Amino acid sequence: MSKASSYGRKNLVISILFTALVFFLSIKLDPYNQGQLSVALMFFIGILSIVLLTGASGQISLGQGALMAVGGFAAALGILNLGLSIWLAIALAVIAALLAGLLLGIAAARLSGPYLAGTTLVIALAIPSLATRFESVFGGDVGLTIAFGNPPAWLTTLMGEVGYEQWQLLATLPFATLALFLTLNILGSRTGRSWRALRDNEVAASLAGMKISETKIFVFVISSGFAGLAGVLYGLRGIVGPSVYPISLSLLLLTGAVLGGIRSILGALIGALLVVFLPDLIEWASASFSPSEQIANYLPAMISSLLLILTVVLNPGGIAHGLHHKKRRH
Amino acid sequence: MDIFLSAIFAGTSRGAIYALAALGLVLVWRGAGVVNFAQMGQAMFSTYIASTLIAQNYSYWIAFVVALISGGLLGALVDLLVMRPLNRKKSSSALDSPAMRSTIPVIASLGILGVLQAAAGMIWAAEERGFPTPVNSLGLVINGKIMPFTAFDLFVIGIVFVTLVATTYFFKGTGMGLAMRASALNPEVARLSGIRIGLVRTLSWVISGVASSLAGLLVTPSANLSPYTLDLILIIGFTAAVVGGLDSLLGSVIGGFALGLLVSFVNVYDAPEDIFLAILIVLITVLIIRPQGILGSKEVRRV
Repeated sequence: MSKASSYGRKNLVISILFTALVFFLSIKLDPYNQGQLSVALMFFIGILSIVLLTGASGQISLGQGALMAVGGFAAALGILNLGLSIWLAIALAVIAALLAGLLLGIAAARLSGPYLAGTTLVIALAIPSLATRFESVFGGDVGLTIAFGNPPAWLTTLMGEVGYEQWQLLATLPFATLALFLTLNILGSRTGRSWRALRDNEVAASLAGMKISETKIFVFVISSGFAGLAGVLYGLRGIVGPSVYPISLSLLLLTGAVLGGIRSILGALIGALLVVFLPDLIEWASASFSPSEQIANYLPAMISSLLLILTVVLNPGGIAHGLHHKKRRH
Repeated sequence: MDIFLSAIFAGTSRGAIYALAALGLVLVWRGAGVVNFAQMGQAMFSTYIASTLIAQNYSYWIAFVVALISGGLLGALVDLLVMRPLNRKKSSSALDSPAMRSTIPVIASLGILGVLQAAAGMIWAAEERGFPTPVNSLGLVINGKIMPFTAFDLFVIGIVFVTLVATTYFFKGTGMGLAMRASALNPEVARLSGIRIGLVRTLSWVISGVASSLAGLLVTPSANLSPYTLDLILIIGFTAAVVGGLDSLLGSVIGGFALGLLVSFVNVYDAPEDIFLAILIVLITVLIIRPQGILGSKEVRRV
């Protein structure tokens, strides 16, 4: 009992430290980097959904972008048609994504490995194309316009002038913290252990009395909720539409998850920061030999793809695996 | 009636191309146990090489052959540079479960796809370019009547038919084909009876590379060439392979033609925007009702 509560306390401390650090950065950074950091937090939530799904339970999904789109569209429809506040819209988005995850999970529980990868890839392409199909509802290629809006009055009285990017970052922060805290608790608990058992040996897990299909569906539901949360925050930057959730978004999140370390929460944070700030970093590093525009445009994609291959071949555990190599317990 | 007939012909010619793409996927899945999501990226790359040669006034056929050879070489490179080293890492802690062992090569192939698309963007820019056909692609005129198919349709169907016959002969009639079938069936026993598994694996990557490059060359005239155009063919090829049975060569061909007709009918009688949705419905229906596909064997999808 005392052990369990000390574990919970540790998770709480980590989450509070995380919040404090990001809050500190939100004051120090310039508006551009505030915006970038807020996108990194959204990706952090999205990558956590992959850590739970692929890292912990061994199921692959190339369609997290589609679940993000479900969250984004649900929120946009709620805001535009029902006049919801963004907070209620975010709740609606998570619920919609949980339901989508339930449907997806029921189909996916029967699949494994490459079948699951291919099916989720098709889903990632098919869902955004629905927006074009039902143009009157989903706004077609252009999409629907939603936004974080203006910071509430109490915040500006408390902190003085709050810029748009800073508000975007501060509004994203509590959700990133919540996602972090939930993931810490899930992975450290009996539930997380049962997911890892599923990943490591399905037959043994079922012999030990685990209900395989139910567990797989449950993992999909939880993971989809995270993806939906990431998706609505991502959409609240301005637009919810097919161009906001392309297939490349799903692959970018997967890249971040693998580079950082697909089994690690710290890895998810590293991966999110990496995929968001890599283009800036490359631009800064390549400024001295000024590549042509054509090359510069594709340099980030080239480097992140090369890093992805190198990580998979040389260090499948990702950066986080290298960082705390000695104390790995799984 | 004419619309119906032209949908059938367009579907058959499209289906022939999808059959090639599906065949390429099945070859590598059987031969190396990897579903290669980079496959149409490789095809895109070799089609760009052909397009560059044609732009420099080489004949279509020289470009055609060079593209097929470079498709094969790319396949070999993917195997030698990425998949073999990956295979040797199986003892690593991140690869210690069957679930992860089938997942990691998929991620690697997505990385390869990203590299190829970025490289194509760097070398050839993102501007879309057309791609020529060796024969006329307007409606064929016989006895003064416009037929519901084009000379290019006939060309596609003919060349795919020749390829399929050649592939069948290779697998059923030659020693190397027998070796490949044996190692797909049981790698351990095949290795013990003296078959060089590594060589057989690389060869399946090469043949798959050639087949998918052929699919790329044949499909590009009807869609502009860009680093991302062939993604759709990958999706359709995958679905075709699953419909036919991921481990059956004949099944993949049947699946390809079925998908070709489906896409063609959705195009003609419904709307092109619905293609993804139609594919998704077919894919999920097949996976739920008959997960092993039309001709696939059951034990492949063991836990």
